[in-house]
Amino acid sequence: MANGTAKPPGLAFSRETFAKLTPGPFLQAHLQQPEPIRPNGRSLDAFRTPTIHTGSLSHSNGSAVVRLGDTAIVCGVRAEILLASDIPHPPGEDTSEDDLVERLGLLVPNVELSTGCSPGHLPGNPPSTVAQALSYRILSLLHTSNLINADDLRILYTEPASEDDLPDEGSKVVTKAFWALYIDVLCIALDGNPFDAAWAAVISALKSTQLPKAWWDPDREMILCSPLATETHGLRLDDIPVASTFAVFSTGSALKQRSEAESWVLADPDGFEEDVCSETVTAVARSDDGGVGSITRLEKSGGGAIGKAAMGRCVHMAQQRWREWQGVLHGG
Amino acid sequence: MGPDISHHPLQGADGSVTFSSNLCSILAAANGPVEVQRRDELPEEAAVEVNIRPPSGVSGPRERWLESVVAAVLRSVLHLHMHPRTLVQITLQITKAPSSTLKGAIRDVALLPSLINASFLALLDGGLPLRSTVAAVFLAVVGMGEVREDPSEKELAGCKSVHGLAYNNHGDLLLSESSGSFDLAEWENIADQAEETCRAAMAPLDEDGVVMKGTMSSGPWLRQELTDKAQAAVAWREAT
Repeated sequence: MANGTAKPPGLAFSRETFAKLTPGPFLQAHLQQPEPIRPNGRSLDAFRTPTIHTGSLSHSNGSAVVRLGDTAIVCGVRAEILLASDIPHPPGEDTSEDDLVERLGLLVPNVELSTGCSPGHLPGNPPSTVAQALSYRILSLLHTSNLINADDLRILYTEPASEDDLPDEGSKVVTKAFWALYIDVLCIALDGNPFDAAWAAVISALKSTQLPKAWWDPDREMILCSPLATETHGLRLDDIPVASTFAVFSTGSALKQRSEAESWVLADPDGFEEDVCSETVTAVARSDDGGVGSITRLEKSGGGAIGKAAMGRCVHMAQQRWREWQGVLHGG
Repeated sequence: MGPDISHHPLQGADGSVTFSSNLCSILAAANGPVEVQRRDELPEEAAVEVNIRPPSGVSGPRERWLESVVAAVLRSVLHLHMHPRTLVQITLQITKAPSSTLKGAIRDVALLPSLINASFLALLDGGLPLRSTVAAVFLAVVGMGEVREDPSEKELAGCKSVHGLAYNNHGDLLLSESSGSFDLAEWENIADQAEETCRAAMAPLDEDGVVMKGTMSSGPWLRQELTDKAQAAVAWREAT
């Protein structure tokens, strides 16, 4: 200013600039208020409300679109036939039903993040570490929760009694083939917490999956499928686990005293919060018969701010979330 | 008495260690701080890269996931701000894995504590600046709710749940990976036992090198390792 009378413009940033320049202190300023409110307007333990649409893909056996705030995930299930005679090392008779699905690899989930869903994942690139880790976590959770019953995936054939069989032996039922389910998960928009949304999409798609009636034709020696929609059958998923992810924002650092560190647990983090928080907790809750909620999986890594007590609170919130999801899953 | 550890088996790496527990063996190598690729470079701290090689075949999604878990734990153990714009690289070759007849999730959780212990010892051998000492432990709930530390494969075949936990010397929980069917009370009980075991691994020794407190089966193996390492480092002074 030439004359020096005009007031110089104040050095104040807009909210967006503050968030871009120093995301950590921006989030901390929000959380340090007497009533902590996150930058996205939610309270610390508020999850985003899910919306689910099933059966929108007409060419797959089952499909679902799940939206969790600005995270949107599409999942399609495609069933293919695996002939029992094509299995190179068939598992022995002693393999339990639960292990069979895992041993034969009948469930093949694949998570695709390279769709242009977020600036962090370039479209057209090979699957990133995050995408591969997500695929594996979903596969592992499908197996540990024993969600899919191997009996639902069998294609059985009752062998007619031949002459050289003993007459008192009944007809023998053999498994001629299995249905293998290819579960493709596409993330079309990513704003944090891909695991919860992807898992919700997978279970809703599996719930809506209809397998055609299939039988072994002994004359043609092949599996035939019925084209009739009325002759399909679904999968029995009775006890559906629900995943809840929490991010932990901590002010602790190697340059500070340990006692100065403060930390907050943020339920269902969005993309901005995920970038600032290094520590995450994922709890997968199951049915709570008798008031004691059962847990299928509990994962935590990335820092030391969360102790036993805070983990307990996360598990309680996850069990609360399980109850909320039951309404959404059974309603949709 | 604790896991089988041998120091510096590799001449080329900055730090290396072979770590054998009941269920698995791992050959770990740590290099750092080394030059970092432009796209991985961080302006304020060192990048951490973990590579896991399976005993046979090529690595896949499973190894990518294990790598991301191990890297997350190591980031909270290393003094990364001391070497900005560099890379700390850890390579973990699994030489013996739990039997493939076990369920996949059990094998993963069984492997993680050994991976953490091996990479921590490799970082220590490589002389990288560390914030804290970390010990990891593998626990399983077998039979009628009995908690078994470092169980055998036979016990694992029929177990209800498996838990891999890591604590540092301040008693902070750095890793918790649990799978199976359990409830909160069970997990809290396991966390207590794991913390006690991890503390026992780092428990101070008295003059004769005998355990002062903690009568856990594996004893203060980590403290013993650190003491031996420190004594070997100053051996030249005593020799002159």
